[in-house]
Amino acid sequence: MPEGKFCNKTPITTEEQLKATLGDKGGKQYYEEMNHLDVDSEKLWGAIQKTMKSRTKTWLEICAHCGLCAESCFLYQVNGRVPEQVPSYKIQSTLGQMVKKKGKVDNEFMQMCMETAWSKCTCCNRCGMYCPHGIDMGVMFSYLRGLLYSQGFVPWELKIGAGMHRVYRAQMDVTMEDWVETCEWMAEETEEEWPGLEIPVDKEDADIMYTCNAREPKHYPEDIAEAAILFHVAGENWTVPSEGWEQTSLSMFAGDWECCKDNVVNVYSAIERLRPKRAIGTECGHAHRATVIEGPYWAGREDGQPPAPYIHYVEWLAEALRTGKLKIDPAKRIKEPVTLQDSCNYVRNQGLKDVTREIISYIVEPGYFVEMAPNKEHNYCCGGGGGFNGIGLYREQRNVALRKKKQQILDTGCKLVIAPCHNCWDAIRDLEEEYEIGIRWSFLKPLVIGMLDVPEHLLPKDE
Amino acid sequence: MFKKILLATSGAPSTFGAARVAFDMAKRYGAEVVVLNVMGVPTKAFSQVVNDVRTGEEVEVDDEYRSWVEEELKTTFEKQFETVEFSKLVLTTGVPHREILRCARDEDVDMIVMGASSGDSNVYRKGYPGSTLQRVAKAARCPVMTVHRETASYWGGFSNIVFATDFSKQAASAFKFSLNAAKELDSDLTILHALDISGKVLDQNEIEDRLIAARERIRGTYDLGDFKNCDIEVWEGVPYVEIVKMARERSADLIVMAHHIRELDPEKARIGSTMEQVILRAGCPVISVSKPDKV
Repeated sequence: MPEGKFCNKTPITTEEQLKATLGDKGGKQYYEEMNHLDVDSEKLWGAIQKTMKSRTKTWLEICAHCGLCAESCFLYQVNGRVPEQVPSYKIQSTLGQMVKKKGKVDNEFMQMCMETAWSKCTCCNRCGMYCPHGIDMGVMFSYLRGLLYSQGFVPWELKIGAGMHRVYRAQMDVTMEDWVETCEWMAEETEEEWPGLEIPVDKEDADIMYTCNAREPKHYPEDIAEAAILFHVAGENWTVPSEGWEQTSLSMFAGDWECCKDNVVNVYSAIERLRPKRAIGTECGHAHRATVIEGPYWAGREDGQPPAPYIHYVEWLAEALRTGKLKIDPAKRIKEPVTLQDSCNYVRNQGLKDVTREIISYIVEPGYFVEMAPNKEHNYCCGGGGGFNGIGLYREQRNVALRKKKQQILDTGCKLVIAPCHNCWDAIRDLEEEYEIGIRWSFLKPLVIGMLDVPEHLLPKDE
Repeated sequence: MFKKILLATSGAPSTFGAARVAFDMAKRYGAEVVVLNVMGVPTKAFSQVVNDVRTGEEVEVDDEYRSWVEEELKTTFEKQFETVEFSKLVLTTGVPHREILRCARDEDVDMIVMGASSGDSNVYRKGYPGSTLQRVAKAARCPVMTVHRETASYWGGFSNIVFATDFSKQAASAFKFSLNAAKELDSDLTILHALDISGKVLDQNEIEDRLIAARERIRGTYDLGDFKNCDIEVWEGVPYVEIVKMARERSADLIVMAHHIRELDPEKARIGSTMEQVILRAGCPVISVSKPDKV
């Protein structure tokens, strides 16, 4: 069983391994080692027998190869509509074959599977809506990724990503100390403009426990400050946990199931420890999917629910605007054509389509909001979902994938795109970098802060 | 008051003026210089892939790249490093303004020194409006010095300080800083209020009355104690023009102002800010003070 130094079947569990793997520039040695990585067929077949449940079996079995899913897939559309990009073909030729051959597959086949699972599918689940049988190939690809990960066939960045989650319980190297320090820093930086603003850490029995994405403390701590400002103005009794603050899951994209569970249990323990009335996650799509939609099942929770009601940021924001906790100054509403990106992970996968539009109704001057076509649960993936954004090996394919969103945005004629999801935000930024179509993009938080009608008593006294 | 200076530099020629002033201050006042270079702005994955701040090209940050950047900077500022007793180099990746603020906080510096031109507006900045300078000046706990043009006549040291006040809360901190600096460096201080009459139609008498009132207000607001080398001036006009004129008249080698622009959106806070105009036009370093912590 030759296993490479970097490319092997063992997950990264220590900081040392992480640094060493990161030091392998661009995964050069990693991918070289992958060419010699053996497939443990017995283990693979064992895993399939143990984990492939009736739904997946049925789906593989009843697929009629009708091809109705083809047009539903944006990757099929932007890649010249070649048969190799039809979702049913993609899954049948990979997972389907793996099962047919009872795991007796070779290195070349596994590498082909890896390329298919990570560069020809973003797990956006749009195909599942168009299959006459309701077969969701996005779900199946997530499953296939898990099988591939266990055999070591996973893109370099995602091996590291899952390693980050194992070592730091966050997708980037942000320690608990870093996180708490960043919260203090942001409170300090913001309190002058917003007297009385606090970022309470580990406050028990608060109404809200807020969780976020490690990118925020790492590179964009303003995002945390913005969340704090909005909670402050809305008069919320809120807190962040010192441990269990990070709700993202690159491990989910990598297929590291064990790590997925560990991370989500860590977030749930924070809820159990601090007993908030409810938890709220930041403007992120996959993090919501990981902690709210799939997480309870990973954690083996009987009721399929997190320990406390756990809502997405857009749900809280809509509620705050609806109940008047946050008031918008009508004069400051957006008065230019603006469109909205529906994030697959909480719109298609959880149905929050009306909530975001409710927010739009408060912050955009009537007549200026332009829907993308298609939209809501039929919207296309931004082009960078499922970990696609972060994989250097498939950068070219990812850039092609962005063309669908580019066209959708161009068709709206808008120069401003609201993207309440980190991954969509990133993809749209890259899209502008790559294709230069002259757009701006934003999360909701800064937009809302810019148009708040702030009660007198919350303003600094001396001006 | 100048024990530790943070020099934020991309290594580009546009920051040489800032470097020159920072190292000169360090040499004169025995301060430590922390040279910070934000190598690149993260693009994807775990920040190991960044856009080089100078070329905009995508690079992978690893030890090799890091040591190359370090070598570059050491060569660029070789002579200057030799002149100071304490200095260190900090390399990092991230969004420039944020990393400058982070480093200033971690190192607990007394002053941030940076160049004023940020060059092109990169794509990454669009999602977070505001120039690096605006954002640093807004949030820094310590005074921020910008050196826009390397003034050939700048011999080093500060002998004539012009403090321009708008009577804001932040100006009180800026005054404290100016006074302390003037005392410590034994330099002359001019307190100037530029009465803004741009776009207003006022008769001469009213202007005179306002000038007198402003003069009174300066006297009543700023306690000089036993400090004698101080002039009080009130000029009417467009504030930034008057401040720059005064600096020329006095051969000032340092201008101190208060920073309290909240608006970071460049569309809204367009170069209209007096601070930015002064930085662009003055022939000497400009210090903006916003917080009372380090004055």
